[in-house]
Amino acid sequence: MLYFLHILTLVCIYTILAVSLDLLAGHTGILSVAQAAFYGVGAYTSALLAVRVGCTFLESALAGVFAASVVSFMVSLPSLRLHDDYFVIATFAFQIIIFSFFNNSMPLTNGPLGIPGIPQPAIGGWTVRTHMQFFIFAAVIAALAYAVVSRLATSPFGRVLHAIREDEVFIRSLGKDTLRFKVVAFAVSAALAAFAGSLYAHYITYIDPTSFTVTESILVISMVIIGGPASRWGPVIGATILVITPEVLRFVGLPNSVAASLRQVIYGALLVIMMTFRPRGLVGRYGFMRR
Amino acid sequence: MLLQLLLNGIIAGAAYALVAVSFGIIYSTARFFHFAHGAVYVAAPYCAYVFIVWAGMSPLFALPVAMVIAASLGAALEFVVYRPLRRRGASPLILLLASLGLLIFLQNLISLAFGDQARTLRQGDVVEGIRLLGARVTPVQTVIVLCSVLSCALVWVFLHHTQMGRIVRAVGNDSELARMVGMDSDRALLVTFFVGSGLAGMAGILVSYDTDMRPTMGLQALLIAVVAVIIGGTGSVEGSFLGALLIGLVQNLVVWKISTQWQDAITFLLLLLFLLLRPQGLLGRASKGVAV
Repeated sequence: MLYFLHILTLVCIYTILAVSLDLLAGHTGILSVAQAAFYGVGAYTSALLAVRVGCTFLESALAGVFAASVVSFMVSLPSLRLHDDYFVIATFAFQIIIFSFFNNSMPLTNGPLGIPGIPQPAIGGWTVRTHMQFFIFAAVIAALAYAVVSRLATSPFGRVLHAIREDEVFIRSLGKDTLRFKVVAFAVSAALAAFAGSLYAHYITYIDPTSFTVTESILVISMVIIGGPASRWGPVIGATILVITPEVLRFVGLPNSVAASLRQVIYGALLVIMMTFRPRGLVGRYGFMRR
Repeated sequence: MLLQLLLNGIIAGAAYALVAVSFGIIYSTARFFHFAHGAVYVAAPYCAYVFIVWAGMSPLFALPVAMVIAASLGAALEFVVYRPLRRRGASPLILLLASLGLLIFLQNLISLAFGDQARTLRQGDVVEGIRLLGARVTPVQTVIVLCSVLSCALVWVFLHHTQMGRIVRAVGNDSELARMVGMDSDRALLVTFFVGSGLAGMAGILVSYDTDMRPTMGLQALLIAVVAVIIGGTGSVEGSFLGALLIGLVQNLVVWKISTQWQDAITFLLLLLFLLLRPQGLLGRASKGVAV
């Protein structure tokens, strides 16, 4: 039962990540391979503040969100001027720089050793302690993240994002400052990912750089694509499938190292198959960035 | 010390150049980031490993065969995955995503088969190497530099002085137009993937002789190749070569002042700087496709 709740909590955390990326990839049509970097910025900022300064969960999580947004501006303002696949490469570069920073800045992040002893979240007088409480807590936050993105997507702001996805040059000719819209979407996406990061840090109570690699970013991309970009339930379904698959593999009795590779074999293959036969995802309607 | 670092930089740069040039011809013809190239690069040394260490064949026979297998793997990816995608009108981003999927798929197949630990093709002890102005170079490293320079020169000759090479360049320039005047763009792409993948296989094998191989080394090598191609200027063999050399030198000279751990970060900072300040690269002409 505890194990089951643990998996469900992970599904919630990855749902936040998938939903945050969907705002960019699905709704705005720009793909970023740096989602795990912002996830990491959130996790590290909030873990460091909680462990070294003693901030409460809310303070440190908000600081993480703030840090990720600021970093996102530094990345997006220059790179969002780049064309589709060049932008992907720029986010790749950023992802690797951030990972390298987590892994090598011994005095600040403790490098590969990671940060242990992150306190469990406490809000007001209430501490989230048991697995059940944590699951409910994560589910509420995931629902909030979901609500934020769906609200944004149906707002006038979201309609401009959709228009950018369909034809950026045209929408610019109507006088919209598309760069500004893209930069804001990128920041909101980074902020949500960062919140998922602090949730993760305070849930596992230990973080190290291996949770924030390029592979993790690609996993989140796969979730969005397999589920269905810019669809109502796509990212949620994608996150659920890709979190649960490796657990099923574990139950079959495969050793951990084999299961880890096999899981990646499966999601790599799924990514190729989806791109070939169903680029709009399992439940999506919009052909992923098809021109 | 400085001389040794310079030499190391040139050797690393030569190895990067082989991957960069092989990636570059595919990129400038097919016009998308073929990430699975990293998997082709890893597949070759593992094939060679099976032949040499497991089956006990002679390297003289095994290495060329491994290269041909790598070349065929690349061509097969084009034929089985990318061509059908293109037929359905896939954008470069869709192709990029599919190739990311392929990279992860193939890389983990290799790690399922061989495990994640480092292996090497080298047999026997490490040779001490010849002395060159007080710095050391091993025979393998000399071979790396020679192979790299020679292959890159051959690629240049192929692209500029053969009929097929001209078709390849025409397809890269405008595949629609090339088809209209009767060129077989599908065949040109297949040839490009075959040649490029064979060179990547050669690079993978050479590096595995010099140091070691892991299933995960593909992405790293590929990203460096991407950086080299972009900072060198896409569509130019000389540019990719220079870009790779520059990265090799910068990475090794960084060791002089800062520690090795920051090599990755420095490489990608270099890329970001180029993307922002000179997106057409060192030798590229002002391009139409980079900025929105």
